[in-house]
Amino acid sequence: MTPHALLSLLLALALVAAACSSDDGDAPTVEGAAAGIVDGDCESPTDTELTIYSGRSEDLMAPVFEAFECETGIQVVGNIRYAGSTDLALLMETEGDRSPADVFISQSPGPIGFLENAGLLGTVDSATLDLVEDQNHSDDGTWVGFSGRKRVLVYNVDAYDDADLPTSVFDLTKPEYADRVGIPPTNGSFGDWFTVFRDQFGDDIAAQWLSDMVANGAQAYPNNRSIVDAASRGEIDMGLVNHYYNYQEALANGDSHRAANHDFSSQDIGSLLIITAASVTATTDDNAAAQELVAYLLSEPVQRYLTDETFEYPLAAGVDPAEILPPLEALSQGTVDFEVLADGFERTTEIIAESGILTE
Amino acid sequence: MSASPPALRVGGLLLAALFAFPGLYLVWRNFTEGADPAGLLISDSTLPPLWRTLRLAIAVSISAAILGTALAWLTTRTDLPFRRFWRVVMPIPLVFPTFIGAAAFIRTLNPGGIAYDALDNVGIDVTFELRGFTGAWLVLTLFTYPYVYLPVASRLRQLPGSLEENARVLGDTFAAAFRRVVLPQIAGAIGAGTLLVFLYTISDFGAVQLMRYDTLTRAIATNQLANPPVALALSLILLALAAAVVIVERMVSSRLPDGDRSRVDRAVEYPLGRWKPAATGFVVLAGALAIGAPMVALGDWSIDGLRRATGDGRPLTITRDDVVEATTNTVQVSIVAAIVAVLAVLPIAFLVARYRSRSGALAHAIVISTFALPGIVIALSMRFWTLRSDWAFETFSDSMTLLIFAYVVRFGSLAMGVTLIAVQAVPSNVRDAARTLGAGRWRRFFTMDLRIMAPGLFAGAGLVLLSVMKELPISLLIAPIGFSTLATRAFSSFEESFVAEAGIMATVLVILSFVLSWLLVIRKADHL
Repeated sequence: MTPHALLSLLLALALVAAACSSDDGDAPTVEGAAAGIVDGDCESPTDTELTIYSGRSEDLMAPVFEAFECETGIQVVGNIRYAGSTDLALLMETEGDRSPADVFISQSPGPIGFLENAGLLGTVDSATLDLVEDQNHSDDGTWVGFSGRKRVLVYNVDAYDDADLPTSVFDLTKPEYADRVGIPPTNGSFGDWFTVFRDQFGDDIAAQWLSDMVANGAQAYPNNRSIVDAASRGEIDMGLVNHYYNYQEALANGDSHRAANHDFSSQDIGSLLIITAASVTATTDDNAAAQELVAYLLSEPVQRYLTDETFEYPLAAGVDPAEILPPLEALSQGTVDFEVLADGFERTTEIIAESGILTE
Repeated sequence: MSASPPALRVGGLLLAALFAFPGLYLVWRNFTEGADPAGLLISDSTLPPLWRTLRLAIAVSISAAILGTALAWLTTRTDLPFRRFWRVVMPIPLVFPTFIGAAAFIRTLNPGGIAYDALDNVGIDVTFELRGFTGAWLVLTLFTYPYVYLPVASRLRQLPGSLEENARVLGDTFAAAFRRVVLPQIAGAIGAGTLLVFLYTISDFGAVQLMRYDTLTRAIATNQLANPPVALALSLILLALAAAVVIVERMVSSRLPDGDRSRVDRAVEYPLGRWKPAATGFVVLAGALAIGAPMVALGDWSIDGLRRATGDGRPLTITRDDVVEATTNTVQVSIVAAIVAVLAVLPIAFLVARYRSRSGALAHAIVISTFALPGIVIALSMRFWTLRSDWAFETFSDSMTLLIFAYVVRFGSLAMGVTLIAVQAVPSNVRDAARTLGAGRWRRFFTMDLRIMAPGLFAGAGLVLLSVMKELPISLLIAPIGFSTLATRAFSSFEESFVAEAGIMATVLVILSFVLSWLLVIRKADHL
């Protein structure tokens, strides 16, 4: 076969495959993880369509959206743009009042604060807001949290025992932890956490803690995943991350995974809960359907799925965390106050840069 | 040298305007947001990362130029064992998205990693840890040398061996013959490729982030939401730096001597003799590091995941249909974008090489310096401009046309340099003869120019193809909603630690690039 013919064949195959993949069966059903969320049979499809910008990955969210489409008949599958929350927020800001997005889902508070400042968020129904504790939605209803990730200290189990690890992030500046700790200074949820830290303790104490960490040889990593990976390999002994990643990495890597989560005292700032949130956009052309989707995220089956299958903390009242997760003790540290965040990020970025951690 | 045809000149300027979209967007946003790039440039917070960016880019350029040229020479001009295999394999590193490639590299080679432990078990105690400048330098060198390798290899295959043979007959040592005869002939290709390495390095975010080396792109990323004017100003500084480097390269390379333009059917082949084991070892080592090391971790993740899913562990979050769909999408857009990119830069190459036209030089500089912009800036600029008018919004928003256009703008630079060299490679005596014989312009183009330029054009298309396959920001933000590629699926899974799913998508990506580079680049170029 000549290269020409091969190339044509390849293109033809590609086109056929594309054509085949676009035909849908007539009786809507759901499979896989989505089937575990849906209760009963699917509704027949309606003409209503929603466009979703999801800063949470397809692996986590696709079953939820499929289940929603099945239960309501509102068309969402195929209308979802998955990307990083920051990139999607920048895209929405560029699109302004022409954005096609009806619902924005954010992995961390920062991008939501950014969009709130830009006036691009609408208002979530108060009935939906009431499903979570007051601290888990904004006062003016621009967003509602629907799952949480708790800050923890991930550590290498061959190097440390859980009992020997500190109860507060402030202990990590002591000499015994010199050169042992990894932190993700440029990561979104670390930025969120540090902004709340600043808000609670003041800039002086927060900046001092960070420069003490740097002086103590803390190492900068790009994100939570790379710290969990490094702790498991023993490249570092411990690191500040959120609880989620260790569960996923342990599941993916099996016995060769050598890291575990350590909880600081529930009173410590190191135990903050960082929430993921949903908003109805200001530009939605179908507010009712968008509201329905946001409310659906807080329904019992979805909250169960988020904790049982993706190891996150549920936020709707009445749903308990999965058994393998340590219980949340009364959320004593509260969650992230997005209003604080919206104005505080610029200073957070400056303090992090000034600490010198980026060049460690 | 005749004046350029007006239609070609207008076409070149039009193309320049289209390629200028991202740059104009940046200037516009800097202006409207009240950013202060000049003030920021001399500030204490910008100069150190800028200096680190430069240092890294220069170091990577030098090492990638040497590695790419050496590999190209060994695989095209010597009796290296399994040459054809190496020719297909050597461009592959281009297809690793740096975020996952660098992570896989770390996973294999760093303390506690797979190869690290294996060496440890046989008693070899490796104490290095890849990070910082060294880590970023090594990973970027290994992932960018194909920018040099592909154009140099395609140039080397065309070069007549007669001059080298003459030089050796006249008593030059092998090294002297290489320096005096071969090097001047391939200097243009090395320069064009190295320029791409430089520009890629200053725009890279994935590798520097994972290796924890603080460069300008990291400052851009951290300021995007917190302080948009700073991010915009820093992006503009990056673009200005790129433009300056491009102009310098143009000035240098236009002074290079014109090589021998005659063409051969069979290039000379050197017996490696007693150097054969060393040369083979070198090529194997380069391949093992650049392709083997990341593949070990990717394969490990994939196999663990497949074993888990077929056992009674948690099922994978992706199905076979997802893989097929992402593969189909990836093949379609990368092939179309590669062809369109070469067609788009061809008129500009003609303007520059044939007519030394000023509008051509401008278009050339715009096309190439755009490569230094972070992908997110290009993605946002595309969205931004389609929102300026109802017509553009209705026509292009969420369309495949816009996606392909965005890819071409981002990667047209990759085809530009090699295409330019290909146009220059058409000997003027052949052109004159064809003209004297009365062949019309188009007839000359199709029967003569195109045939002679083909290897260069395929090298350019290959570079674009492999780069589109791994592209992220544009594929994520500009593609029609619901459109996924192998790279976007791998990225999205990897971010949330679904490493098995990410590993599978990335492994398919590598296999696909292997097949495509064999079909489209190697076989094609060999047969013409």
